[in-house]
Amino acid sequence: MDKAHIDALLDPVAISRAESLGLHARLLVEGYMAGEHKSPYRGFAIEFAQHREYSHGDDLRHLDWKVLGRTDRYYIKQYEQETNYVAHILLDGSESMKYGSGRLTKLGYGKMIAACLSYVILHQRDAVALDIFDTVTREYLPRSNSHSMIHKTMATLAGFQPQHQTNIAEVLHDMARQIRRKGIVIIISDLFDDEQKILDGIQHLRFGGNEVIVFHTLDPFELEFPFTGLVEFEGLEAIPKLLTRPQEIRKSYLRELEGFRTRVREGCEKNHCHYVPVNTGHALHEVLAGYLAFRLKTTTR
Amino acid sequence: MSFLNPLLLWAGAAVAVPIIIHLLNRRKFQKVVWAAMRFVKVSMEQNRRRMEIEDMILLALRCLLLLLLALALARPAMRSSTSDLFGQSKVTAVIVLDNSASMGVSDGLQQRFDKGRKAAEQVLDTLPTGSAAAVFLASDGVNAAIPEPTHDLNLARKVIRDAPLSDRATDLFAAIEKAHETLRGRTSLGKEVYVITDGQQSAWRQLGDIQKLLAKAKDARGDQSVQTRVVLVGEPEERNLGVTDLRVTGGLTPVNRPLRFEARVTNHGKHEATGVRVTLQVNAEPPGDDVVIPNIPAGESRAVSLFARLRTEGFHSITARIPDDRFAADNRRTLSVRALREVRVLLVDGNPGAEPRDAETFFLAHALVPVVPEEAEGYFIKPAIIPVADLAEQRLDDFDAVVLANVPEFPASLVTTFEQYLRRGGGLLIFPGAKVNVAFYNDQLHKRSNILPATLGEPRGDATQEDQFITLQSKGYDHPIVTIWNDPGSGQLNSARFFRAFELQLPPTTSEPAGKREGEKSRSPAIPLSQAPTNPVPDAGVSKVILRYSDHSPAAVERPWGLGRVILFSSTATTTWNDLPVRPAFVPLLHRTLASVVQRQDEGLNLRVGQGFARRMAAEWLGKDAVILSPAHSGGARELRKIELAGGLPMLQYDITDRAGVYEISIAEPPAVLKFATQPDPVESDLTEVTPDELRALGESARVIRWNPTLSLREMVEKERLGSEYWLPVALLAMLLAGLETFLAQYFSRSK
Repeated sequence: MDKAHIDALLDPVAISRAESLGLHARLLVEGYMAGEHKSPYRGFAIEFAQHREYSHGDDLRHLDWKVLGRTDRYYIKQYEQETNYVAHILLDGSESMKYGSGRLTKLGYGKMIAACLSYVILHQRDAVALDIFDTVTREYLPRSNSHSMIHKTMATLAGFQPQHQTNIAEVLHDMARQIRRKGIVIIISDLFDDEQKILDGIQHLRFGGNEVIVFHTLDPFELEFPFTGLVEFEGLEAIPKLLTRPQEIRKSYLRELEGFRTRVREGCEKNHCHYVPVNTGHALHEVLAGYLAFRLKTTTR
Repeated sequence: MSFLNPLLLWAGAAVAVPIIIHLLNRRKFQKVVWAAMRFVKVSMEQNRRRMEIEDMILLALRCLLLLLLALALARPAMRSSTSDLFGQSKVTAVIVLDNSASMGVSDGLQQRFDKGRKAAEQVLDTLPTGSAAAVFLASDGVNAAIPEPTHDLNLARKVIRDAPLSDRATDLFAAIEKAHETLRGRTSLGKEVYVITDGQQSAWRQLGDIQKLLAKAKDARGDQSVQTRVVLVGEPEERNLGVTDLRVTGGLTPVNRPLRFEARVTNHGKHEATGVRVTLQVNAEPPGDDVVIPNIPAGESRAVSLFARLRTEGFHSITARIPDDRFAADNRRTLSVRALREVRVLLVDGNPGAEPRDAETFFLAHALVPVVPEEAEGYFIKPAIIPVADLAEQRLDDFDAVVLANVPEFPASLVTTFEQYLRRGGGLLIFPGAKVNVAFYNDQLHKRSNILPATLGEPRGDATQEDQFITLQSKGYDHPIVTIWNDPGSGQLNSARFFRAFELQLPPTTSEPAGKREGEKSRSPAIPLSQAPTNPVPDAGVSKVILRYSDHSPAAVERPWGLGRVILFSSTATTTWNDLPVRPAFVPLLHRTLASVVQRQDEGLNLRVGQGFARRMAAEWLGKDAVILSPAHSGGARELRKIELAGGLPMLQYDITDRAGVYEISIAEPPAVLKFATQPDPVESDLTEVTPDELRALGESARVIRWNPTLSLREMVEKERLGSEYWLPVALLAMLLAGLETFLAQYFSRSK
């Protein structure tokens, strides 16, 4: 893959705005290094976090003597320590992602999201793992926070071509089983699969303590269904050709699509996941910056 | 329901077009590679039934639209007795307006013809917009004033207003038949014939044929059906006298001699007529002789004799007149008569005898000049008697007639001379006798030249005795020469006794005079309008029996030959074989016989109204123009005609003879004035109406309407008028469907 293709994945404006916003941990993450993210480990701390009542067996070194002197009550101090996280970027590389009504396909757009997020996260000295999947994982880059990871990530993204159908849920479940350390799982997909299974996969990831962000990537034509006349739709995946007059089924289509997105969004919200609707017709920097700003505003430190 | 353009129903096959388009369109579509298939699939399944139904609705609408267009083009029509919401369909009508003489009957204010014209105009007013009308004037012929239906109804009105009344008789069958023929084959739902007439019975003499024609037309299907309405104008007339005949009784018409005319007046009314004055007028002179008929019972006629003198040689008009009644046209009758200065007759004596009284021509000469010797010189008939031997030297053209009295034979070369003489208009009378060479007559004069009207058979009877004889017929004198003897006052022909006479054997083409036998009624034949007489004058005409014996065998026969005439008697002109020469009837018989040969061409001077006039003219007039002036009472119109060759002879022909009266012909150079006259058919004077039974019979196949000025013909006709076309509502429905299809197509294809 040549440099031009690699460089095309990094939108400079998006990078610039995303860097300034950063991708901060929304929930407490496990991490080894001291860094920007709050570690859930309370064992040693630099910074006092909170008191708790003394229980028999607690280490008396953490007893807060001042509170004892003031109140004659026994409280232990708990401390917070900032640490790094691993971001697992799961990019849907199935055939349905090949569709694009404009300059970019959904996959192309998704690659750019993945590339920009990888860049930002690695720049933050957090780790990134990349998984491009369809029915199974097709391309995998294990987590790394080294500078060379960005190049590997770009090259892997640029070189990938979709060939198969989708089975997102299975991949999510696999991921949930594989992840040892809680981190952030970023799913970039059109989610054209059984949404309940997808939500089950997401829930599995959440049960593992991971934060999940879903970038639901759809093409503007998929969102608006602007076709007229007599059209034969040729499916990219399992469903065979369908001949119809689109304007006569448009309302039904939009209703169905909206229902699907609503269910996915509600499912995500139920699982405390961020659901980010992505219209590949919109500028990438707006989508990313918009989400990261929202995330920054809503993340508690 | 019927269709005026049934072939266009095939346009309904176009209904296959939207089906084909629908099928073809399914092959034309845009291809899109698509990811979100499941949503498309679900949406399609949710809308499948609705979309199929919508497709079917649109297809059905398009097919129905095309079917309706095809239907509208085929012009559906339905017959209904109720008035139609969408207006009446146009009508193609033929108006047959009776303009015969009887339509001239007046009610004191208006003539029937004026009422007829008003009714005709009302008929035009009843026609819906877009209708067309033809106008025929009907009498005993048909005058197609507007031969083909025209949409210009103003023209039709003008033609009706300007239509002339004629003096012709009436026979409506030809006009009604022509009217139906005109409508046949026309594509129109409403076809109507209006016969506007006065209800005279004689006009419906072919009622049976008319009924059949009308019934067939009425019962025809679809647009071939023709409705006929008979509009009767005029009131019944209970009184009518008419001059139904006028003739010269004497035969020959010399100048300055009292000529006897017989005028017959018929009372066609229902009441006796009394004190009927009949006057006779010569030319434009004041009326001369007059006679008062004391009474004429209803339905009967009376003949009166009137006398007049013709002062100058040439053509004169003689008019018999009675006082005018409501039907003025038949109150006068005009003859044209050519006055002769002299009649030169060559008598060829075949057996002069020792004594003058024994000569074959003795009785003839005296009969021809029936005056005292002192007056013989001044008498107009100039007989010249010659023996047979001198015949070859004679210039036959110097004589108006030649009489062969018991002439045995003559040189064969003279047969040719006689042919030429006859061809030029000469007359030949033949009295056979014991001397005649039968073989010569039969071979030369009959077989070779056809001059003889009949062959001479074996003589029968015995002239040497007086006990056995045959007589002439006692009644049924139909030939013009002998008709006067129908009147007992003229004497009796059948008193003469014939002891011996030749059997006359007639050729197969012999005709009875005017197709009549004793007792048979006379009937006027329909005379085609504007038909000029046939041009060629055949040499040998058809032989006709003049007179018969009581045993019905011919006693005298005649035959036209060229422009002349030949008359053959069966017995002698002397008392050798019969005693006719000593009977009073001999003189008038001879004179009338002479008149028929001398004035043969003058027979063409008196015609029935409508007959064409044709007269052979002298060679010096060939190529000249003749001005013909119509009868004064009809307006005195002038027409120009040229004297042209017809059949190798210079002829003057004229055919516009619809009015009765005298027509005057003037030729400038060399100057000449001729006159001919037309007489109306006496049948037309009978104003008897059709009977109620006949009207009822007519009503089975036509609508009979009694017109009066207060009648709203329009209302009556519109109520009866059948049927409407439905192309307009069908087309409107098609337009509605087109609009609905457009709306639904837009509605169904909106985003759902």
